[in-house]
Amino acid sequence: MTPVYLEHYLLVGAALFALGMIGFLARRNLIIMFLSAEMMLQGVAVNLVAFSRYRGNLGGQALTLFILTVAACEAAVALALILMLYRRRKSLDVSLWQELREPDQEPIVDEEPLPKRPEEEPSPRLTPAGRTPSPPTAVPQGARGDHTQEQETSHV
Amino acid sequence: MFDDVRNYLWLIPALPLLASALIALFGYSALRERSHWPCILGAGVSCVLSVLALIGVAGGADGGAVYYTWFQSGTVNVGFSLQADGLTAVMLVMVTFIGTLIAIYSAGYMRGAPGYPRYFAFVSLFLFSMTLLVLANNFILLYAAWEGVGLCSYLLIGFWYQRPAAAAAARKAFLVTRLGDIGLFLGILLLWKSFGHSLDYNEVFMAAARNPDPALLVPACLLLFLGAAGKSAQFPLHVWLPDAMEGPSPVSALIHAATMVTAGVYLVARCMPLFGLAPDAQLIVAIIGAFTALLAALIALTQTDLKRVLAYSTVSQLGFMFLALGAGTAQYGLAGLAVTAAIFHLFTHAFFKALLFLGAGSVMHAMGDVIDMRRFGGLRKVLPVTHWTFLCGAAALAGVPLLSGFWSKDEILAVAWDAGGQGAPHTGVYRLLFFSALVTAGLTAFYSARAYFMTFWGEERIPEEAYHHHVGDAASVACESEDEATPAASPTPHFESPGIMTWPLRILAVGAVGVGIVVVLPMGHFLEAHWIRQRFPQSLLPAESAHGHNILLMFVSGLVALAGIGLAYLFYVKKPALPGVLAKSAVRLYEASRNKFYLDELYAAFIVKPLSGLAQLLRVLDQYIVDGLVDLCGQIPSFFSFLFLRPVQNGLVQFYAILMALGVGGFLLSVLLR
Amino acid sequence: MQTFLQLYWTLLLPVALGFVGVYLLLPRPGRSLPLLGALAGGAALLAAGFFVVRLPASIPESILFYAFAGVALLGGGMMITQKNPVHAALSFALVVLATCGLFLLQGAPFLFAATIIVYAGAIVVTFLFVIMLAQQAGLSDADQRSREPFLASLAGFVLMGALLCVLHKNFNTGELDRLLDEVEKVAQAKTAQEVKNLLGDPDLMPFGEKSLNLVTQLSAHFPETEKRLVENLEDAWGKMDVALLTERCKKVIDAGRRLRLATGILTPGQTRAGREREDGKKDAQLPLSPYSGVPANAKIIPTDDGKIPERLAARNVAALGRSLFTDHLVAVELAGVLLLVATIGAIAIAGRRAEGLR
Repeated sequence: MTPVYLEHYLLVGAALFALGMIGFLARRNLIIMFLSAEMMLQGVAVNLVAFSRYRGNLGGQALTLFILTVAACEAAVALALILMLYRRRKSLDVSLWQELREPDQEPIVDEEPLPKRPEEEPSPRLTPAGRTPSPPTAVPQGARGDHTQEQETSHV
Repeated sequence: MFDDVRNYLWLIPALPLLASALIALFGYSALRERSHWPCILGAGVSCVLSVLALIGVAGGADGGAVYYTWFQSGTVNVGFSLQADGLTAVMLVMVTFIGTLIAIYSAGYMRGAPGYPRYFAFVSLFLFSMTLLVLANNFILLYAAWEGVGLCSYLLIGFWYQRPAAAAAARKAFLVTRLGDIGLFLGILLLWKSFGHSLDYNEVFMAAARNPDPALLVPACLLLFLGAAGKSAQFPLHVWLPDAMEGPSPVSALIHAATMVTAGVYLVARCMPLFGLAPDAQLIVAIIGAFTALLAALIALTQTDLKRVLAYSTVSQLGFMFLALGAGTAQYGLAGLAVTAAIFHLFTHAFFKALLFLGAGSVMHAMGDVIDMRRFGGLRKVLPVTHWTFLCGAAALAGVPLLSGFWSKDEILAVAWDAGGQGAPHTGVYRLLFFSALVTAGLTAFYSARAYFMTFWGEERIPEEAYHHHVGDAASVACESEDEATPAASPTPHFESPGIMTWPLRILAVGAVGVGIVVVLPMGHFLEAHWIRQRFPQSLLPAESAHGHNILLMFVSGLVALAGIGLAYLFYVKKPALPGVLAKSAVRLYEASRNKFYLDELYAAFIVKPLSGLAQLLRVLDQYIVDGLVDLCGQIPSFFSFLFLRPVQNGLVQFYAILMALGVGGFLLSVLLR
Repeated sequence: MQTFLQLYWTLLLPVALGFVGVYLLLPRPGRSLPLLGALAGGAALLAAGFFVVRLPASIPESILFYAFAGVALLGGGMMITQKNPVHAALSFALVVLATCGLFLLQGAPFLFAATIIVYAGAIVVTFLFVIMLAQQAGLSDADQRSREPFLASLAGFVLMGALLCVLHKNFNTGELDRLLDEVEKVAQAKTAQEVKNLLGDPDLMPFGEKSLNLVTQLSAHFPETEKRLVENLEDAWGKMDVALLTERCKKVIDAGRRLRLATGILTPGQTRAGREREDGKKDAQLPLSPYSGVPANAKIIPTDDGKIPERLAARNVAALGRSLFTDHLVAVELAGVLLLVATIGAIAIAGRRAEGLR
């Protein structure tokens, strides 16, 4: 007849937290790292709500709401930062950022080759927005100009 | 609101402070070319309030007020307390009036200079500090304001900090006055310790009057005088003032002629209830004052830089004031007369010296920043307004009879003569000082006339720079000249300064000519009634009010002044070859005077060089021994980390995080397994 | 160490299985055994459900709990092992949905709705946008490699194991349940002989020792203020007064239930901070205002039929609103400011061109 105990929710929360941490530690895609961090927050939220229920007041739930707010802020700023990082290196790989190592350390580069994957069928693509479709012979200068300029400056 | 002095006394320093804050905050963004307005308005309203305060004090108001407790620690209780008695009121009126005029003048003089808002922010800050200095009712507040004016002086001398000379001059002024400030602070501490553990003026003075122990009074007075000598550029700490002329001319007029440098005189006058009880200290004050006056006058004879002549003249006149102060001793009841003479001279000197500096600034403005008197001459026709106003100032400085300088200098001479009278201590010394002062007065007349003749008489010479300067901003000058009262009808370019600069000159010229004869009697009575009678201990008060003028002395000093002027006329107008001949015949003396008696070189050789050598030695010590030890300490962990810790620092954030997570997990496990 | 394993093997077994599963499933370029990993992970989940939770799967709440918790952990595992970031983001949405189910189970309907809207709605969609913006060229190298998979899984699962053990140690009420069951049996005894069969004969105790094993064990779980209740049992047993014993046993059972369900045991033998004190004075450290519902530190009075009153009803959205705007008003304002600042910050950061310093 006993209902689900507090302990069980706490265990679920802790497991979510630990799984998120593994994701954060092991994955190299910045976005997945961030998703993992959000999952850790979910684990904490489960704990807080469970304690809220357990103690019979709403402090835990209120705190969870604030976690929600902070997570939203964090997502906004983090995504902006990720976009900036992506613009610099044209990649989301976090391992590209290891300049802050000891000066005489060699950078860590993965050498194990990736397995050859079968060529994927190219998915059909729409014309990107903002560019007028043009005959392949004459490339409009204005539309190309901005793009190349941006690329050049980004290498400076 | 205006019926009680206390209600608006705090506004007098507060308004310039507000103006300073306004300019500092909005000067570069919003005010820009209008940055002078807050400064002028703040100073002007303060001036009106100061006059009101003067009237209030004359009406018998005692304006002491503690606004709040500044800090309190044990028996030390320092209030933010202001007071208005006769001395403060006179100083306030002088400071704010001249400050307002100079702020107006600066708006024209500094026009277009980079850092225009900064300049006015500093000037306002200075006015705040200076008014607070004279309003303070306890030694600590006075000391704070004292440092405040020192800081503003530093900032304004170094206003053109890009120029190495200006930066060096600012540093020198700051360091040399700091030497004096140490003395002042030690003096304050000694007073606190010796006289009743209080810092309020009145309580200290009363405690000292109850128990005038020379063993305590003399050192305290000498320490205070050290501070005063630093601030007021007395020998041997006078070397900073001539260099301070690197600042803009209005600054020289305001800070280094009219107001800040008189703070030392104010301090000694304020503490006359202490000094008057210590004749030995007074003798030193008088000797230093007279010696400085003579020395500076001798140096001023041969300087060719117009502003330096005026600077040495300032040093010399301040020496006069200290001579007067030093002549006030208890035994002869001269203290009241002495401070009256000193403050009177301070008051008139502020007018004519500010006028002279502003005139020099006007010359400089017109001549394209050239200030060497050998490079221009005969500017009578070119700069008519400047010429007439400068003449008024120079004549007042020289002590031409009936002008303001004559009256005040005469009072000083009278006090010095009386101090050497029968029955007084150190009679012989004071007699000697009197004759030295008489000689100095003659020299003063000579060099002021010399500066005037060299600048405005002789054949008309205008340096190259003046033309460059005026081609540059011809448009602005033309625009300014519309409100020019006496447009110069000369074929040469229009050199005279704009009206915003000449009107303050005219007002000050009227003051320099007339202020002496107007206030010579009222000021003595005013100071005596509202300050001396209230604050001085009985033993210092003269038996009867004695303001009789020694007619013979007046005659003699007038004669000396006219003789000096006549000699200068002979040397520099009638026979311009004569000075050269004289210089050749007494070449050593001439060179000594021109090189300021080698005092700067002496200081450099005996103080600066050894200290700098010591600094070098310490630097080597620090660099190779102390730093070596520190570096060694840094090497040790780096050596050990080389073995196993360094590979951990591979720059990968995730790697660090893994280590952290392992650490936390391990910690939790250890708690569990315990 | 051995006792540790004996105590916690039910927890450590699923953790170890999960470690193997996740380690095998983490993306890597070389040889991988995804099937084996999936098997291990599934086994870990099953083992956890069987050994750790041990709930009767007959009542709706426990069925729902199993479902939501299982989906949440499964989604979590998938999220960290998917190569494709889009799939990972979708798995994350799954985790969020399952977590929201858990919220609902615990009487937090508002959070349930808010989390779905904010996370599964806004945040995941934004992430997907960024992924699509940044990864138009398909999978990148970064997604096919893991950074130190062994060390990372080890760190994560060591932490998880440690956390689970600590939680189990502090919040497991199984031991108390067993003891209370024994007391209940005593309460149901009708004659002195039955009591003697259960607890032993006080006259036969060696050396006249009159202490009961049951009482010592029970009193370890009770706070100082209520230990007397338990010790009274011994007294009644010593006199062999069956009626008195039954009455006292019932009191102990009531107190024990209260302990287990309502106030719980944070650490055995310690009083909870904030309980109402013996002398009836309110404890000084009341944490929140009564707007949030019954304060946690108020004394819990069971109803006449022995039920514990419901203290946090499922329909508490209004109470949460009141709590937010009374107890946490400043925090709410600050959170609003924080959101605004974060918005501005995000615009300022992302709006900058790639060349950075300008």
